[in-house]
Amino acid sequence: MSSMLSEKFLIDNDGIQRFLVTINVNGIDYTRMVKANTVLVNFLRDELDLTGTKRGCEMGDCGSCTVLVDGKPMNSCLMLAVEAEGKQIITIEGVSTSENLDVLQEKFLEYGAIQCGYCSAGMILSAKALLTRNPHPTYEEVQEGISGNICRCTGYVNIIRAILAASGQEVENY
Amino acid sequence: MATDEREQVGKIYAPRPYNVIGKSKPRIDGREKATGSGKYCGDLRMPNMLYGKILQSPYAHAKILNIDISEALKIPGVVDVITSKDAPSLKYGLSPARYDENILCIEKVLYVGDKVAAVACVDEETCYKAIKAIKVDYEPLKPVLDYRTAMNDDMPQLHADFPKNINTEIHQKFGDPDEAIKNAYYSSTDVFVGQRTYQCPIEPHSAISSWKEGKLTIWSTTQTVHYFQHYIAREFGLKMGDVRIIRPLVGGGFGGKLEPTGLEYCGAIISKRTGRPVKMFFDRHEMFAHNRGRHQGTYEITTGVDKNGKLLGVKCDFLLDGGAYTSLGIATAYYAGGLLTLTYDFENYEFNLRRMYTNLPACGAQRGHGAPQPKYAFESHLDNVADALGIDKIEIRRVNSRQSDTVTINGFGIQSCHLGECIDKIHEVTDWEKKRKEGLPKNHGLGVATGSFVSGAGYPMYRNDLPQASCMIRVNEDGTAATLYTMSVDIGQGSDTVYCQMAAEAMGYRYENMKIVSGDTETTPHDFGAYSSRQTLMGGWACKRAGEDIKAKILETAGFMMHLPPEDLRCEDGKIYSMSRPKVDSITFEEAARKYFIIKGPLVGTGVYSVPRLGGYFKGAAVATSPAYSFCTQAAEVAVDEETGQVDILHAWDVHDAGQIINPNLMKGQVHGAFTMGLSEAVSEQVLFTDAGKIINPDLANYRVLTAKDMCTFSNYVIDAADDPAGPWGVKEVGEGANNPTLGAIRNAIKDATGVSVSTLPITAEKVWRALREKKEAEASK
Amino acid sequence: MYLPDFDYYAPESVKGVSEMLLEREGSVILSGGTDLMTKMKNGLPVNGMAAPKALISLKNVHRMKKIEYVKGKGVVIGGAATCNDIAYSEILHERYNSVSGAAQSMAANQVRNAGTVAGNIVAAVPSADMPPILIALNAEAKLESAKGERVLPLEEVFAGPGRTVLERGEVLTEVVIPDQAMTGSAYFKYALRKAGALAVVGVAAALQMEGGVIKDIRVAFGAVGPVPMRAPKVEAFLKGKEATEDNLDAAADIARQECKPITDHRASEEYRRDMVGVFTKRAVKKAIAQGHN
Repeated sequence: MSSMLSEKFLIDNDGIQRFLVTINVNGIDYTRMVKANTVLVNFLRDELDLTGTKRGCEMGDCGSCTVLVDGKPMNSCLMLAVEAEGKQIITIEGVSTSENLDVLQEKFLEYGAIQCGYCSAGMILSAKALLTRNPHPTYEEVQEGISGNICRCTGYVNIIRAILAASGQEVENY
Repeated sequence: MATDEREQVGKIYAPRPYNVIGKSKPRIDGREKATGSGKYCGDLRMPNMLYGKILQSPYAHAKILNIDISEALKIPGVVDVITSKDAPSLKYGLSPARYDENILCIEKVLYVGDKVAAVACVDEETCYKAIKAIKVDYEPLKPVLDYRTAMNDDMPQLHADFPKNINTEIHQKFGDPDEAIKNAYYSSTDVFVGQRTYQCPIEPHSAISSWKEGKLTIWSTTQTVHYFQHYIAREFGLKMGDVRIIRPLVGGGFGGKLEPTGLEYCGAIISKRTGRPVKMFFDRHEMFAHNRGRHQGTYEITTGVDKNGKLLGVKCDFLLDGGAYTSLGIATAYYAGGLLTLTYDFENYEFNLRRMYTNLPACGAQRGHGAPQPKYAFESHLDNVADALGIDKIEIRRVNSRQSDTVTINGFGIQSCHLGECIDKIHEVTDWEKKRKEGLPKNHGLGVATGSFVSGAGYPMYRNDLPQASCMIRVNEDGTAATLYTMSVDIGQGSDTVYCQMAAEAMGYRYENMKIVSGDTETTPHDFGAYSSRQTLMGGWACKRAGEDIKAKILETAGFMMHLPPEDLRCEDGKIYSMSRPKVDSITFEEAARKYFIIKGPLVGTGVYSVPRLGGYFKGAAVATSPAYSFCTQAAEVAVDEETGQVDILHAWDVHDAGQIINPNLMKGQVHGAFTMGLSEAVSEQVLFTDAGKIINPDLANYRVLTAKDMCTFSNYVIDAADDPAGPWGVKEVGEGANNPTLGAIRNAIKDATGVSVSTLPITAEKVWRALREKKEAEASK
Repeated sequence: MYLPDFDYYAPESVKGVSEMLLEREGSVILSGGTDLMTKMKNGLPVNGMAAPKALISLKNVHRMKKIEYVKGKGVVIGGAATCNDIAYSEILHERYNSVSGAAQSMAANQVRNAGTVAGNIVAAVPSADMPPILIALNAEAKLESAKGERVLPLEEVFAGPGRTVLERGEVLTEVVIPDQAMTGSAYFKYALRKAGALAVVGVAAALQMEGGVIKDIRVAFGAVGPVPMRAPKVEAFLKGKEATEDNLDAAADIARQECKPITDHRASEEYRRDMVGVFTKRAVKKAIAQGHN
């Protein structure tokens, strides 16, 4: 690193800024050096090895990279790591912190809501945010809550059933 | 099991329900997927790994004059750049008769996205810079972009061996369709047009290649490790045994991960040159460009029927857009007409097809393979025939419905077919009678269609005499766990789970104690992989037989331990007991397994499955043969906004004859997924091209896969029948047959709601709006 | 897909942001990023530049995130309020639920949690969902810079597809929906998928009813012209008329003539024209029947 130092960043020999950021992920502060163009999903996957957050389209269209930012579901492919500084990020790895699964994860298993699993992390986090905001959603509200998460396997039917079941509603299983 | 129950069983020898199959066991890979701990190919990292990318052609058709890689190599972090000079020039493909693709293009590029060069760098970001820095001089050539005119004399020929750009030509004739149609009570012709769609798995393709000491290992997003091993070994002149293909978790395939993409080949070449593992990957745009999605086509269907709507003769004339290479297109072409004989029984049939080469991305196998669009055309045509004759839409299907123990006119033997019951059931659950009598609310419509599909292709993709499937089960030394080994590939459909259920059932063991190693050519025994809905039936036989092998060994040991003849013993749910002497204490599977290990060593069971010779003797008779066929009906109710043409799907029903269901939750999930993909193709999805052959919508914002808000509520029904002797416990497929009727059912519902027929897919709001307007204008001018 | 390299700054005041924009050639504002990030990943130009050299983040400008009612002024929406802030705002639910509904109709949840109202405006995408309803409600945009500030009617902010009248250094800090006599408003977005889709047409109407007569009305269209546009002929026709079916049908026909749609891969010009008519009628009817809900 060259010595051109400002308050917040270093400039390397290539003339590109490097930022020392501290981001709280799943309750732990991680401090890493990043370039400004590092998006949060790559920060999580490459710097922290939290590969549960998936890259599907990298354009904010599929929802595979959904994480909770201060409790709100957001596409981590469209957020810069430098913008996440000081925020609380929850990834799928932070949904259950012990051997016990979160009720959403349990119901996803029980109701056959997972097939290839590639959308599951984002889907569960969107559902988590929905149930936090609205603990007893209707069928339509669940559809709306996960409409930013594309699933190509399940047709959403069993996912919606699982989320309704996780909210404590009676859903008959097959 | 409680002792009294066992006694009862011992006394009455009653047939027993299954312990493990037929139950909605949780997915064996569910937990790792729900917690994010499961690793997909893109999640893997090897020490010293490089990252690589393929430079794709910006032209649909062009000569490569020169490639200058010098600037790319100057970029810090760029380790290697390769072009066709560095790659084997042996052509590859999936159908040996049509090997037409090179690892990297040599003289010409044939579509926007064709493979020109590849880079390897220290990180992903540098790959994008390196790709941009490669300078390629192209001489643009006139492209062939419309499959309907691709055979015209003024069109350039894309492949030297294929005059008029005809990639595949099929002419099949059974009976005398012309005579039958001529003499029919009513005959008619309809033409329907299908669009190009893309599989769009949510996980993008990637591959990590590592070439070390003459051996090549590749972790890949693949549906079939065997074919990858075969084709990759062939390309590099390696022995199959020196190529290892490993499937990490796969995030959906739907036919789009069936063939090598170039990522494996290029990564292997660079790994050999650099001595480092190389991860090559597609982003979403590159996936779309590589494509291999569903063929678009024009489908002309002529039928002659008697006054009850019974089909007397059928003639099909199809034209498919194959894109720049063959890919799986030969199979697609034969499937397109071959499968139409399954659901309805007729005796006179003619099937003509041409698959054209164009300068668009190659088309391949997408869920349902060649069948969904022709079936959409046929089901739409059938509704038109019913309208013309004033016959009920369900009645015309009932009249023509196939029966068990019949042979189709093109030679497919069908032992079990409960389509008639599926038709009766859909009639009942949709409240058809009442809705027909009393009518639906204004602008609502109800549509129905039937479907069928192979439970595994009868023949492999390249000629070989390997059995279709095999399986090995190893029981742990103390009997507390058993691991199933198979080369089958779970791409999300749940094969790992149902395999463990079937094995546990056959072993008399518990699902919860099963583990599985699958999709690795080095540690697992042969299976062809996940395509043509083959695994549950074919791999299922191997699992069942391996399980029974274990059970026989367990019972023999238990007989020795219990001083009883093995024939007198039963092993179920991990318990071994005597049939004749209920008072003799039972022992556990674990105890017997442990004893076996002490006396004889590893407790291993194996199973293998080969398909008997199937099909007729005409050209193409092999495609669409199968040991067994699933059957189903689907119905959908829609509401159409007559001002905007927007179609709202209100509810859908599926009735399935899939034989014995191994896991109801997974089975219904397959139906939901197949239906939704079909619905999405029916009303929304289409890959669009500019007039230079470039994809307009290579992203999930503009290629509109339906969201949770667009999907309707759904009812599943299953015909309780498990009588097909060709399947283990009578199982049949579900994954692909379940989108066979969908497009037709949706079209028929929209027609029912509006009275207008939109004859091209997708049936967008604008097309419905236009058709309604034309109808209004026509009525006004009368 | 990777973003090109750029410099990044996150000043703590509007003045700081403005100064940065003026100081640094090729700099642009980073707000929610949903439009900017996708454009940059796709290599598309931003504000006429091939690739921005610096992004000036609004992250630390906290005063721009509020939504409040200021007596005598109206509802003040901070430029950096997200679409979901608007969709869930109780102030807006009470006063102009139509604006919340327009925000709710955008993209999908994840994008609405990032994308901001100012971003939706200054990206000047013709199909943007916030401008039509805000224009119909006579909203104003406050533009601040280190040199001063000015207030413009929102409809005057747009200069063409992807272009606005904002000068270098100007920040859209507030959108104000003034207190008004309008008794109802509505926005209809018509898209080809129920989530994650751009409007094929967007129609907004705000009107004042007095004893069955439309005393005043403002109509605005999205996605059917280079910029979000008012429909003065529709407005003039309906003003002072009763909302009969015949009048509304006639207004719809005027709307069909007045809009300026193009054909693209989502829809043809003629379809868009007809939809503008259909949804003009529906928007007016809804604004009459349901007030601002």
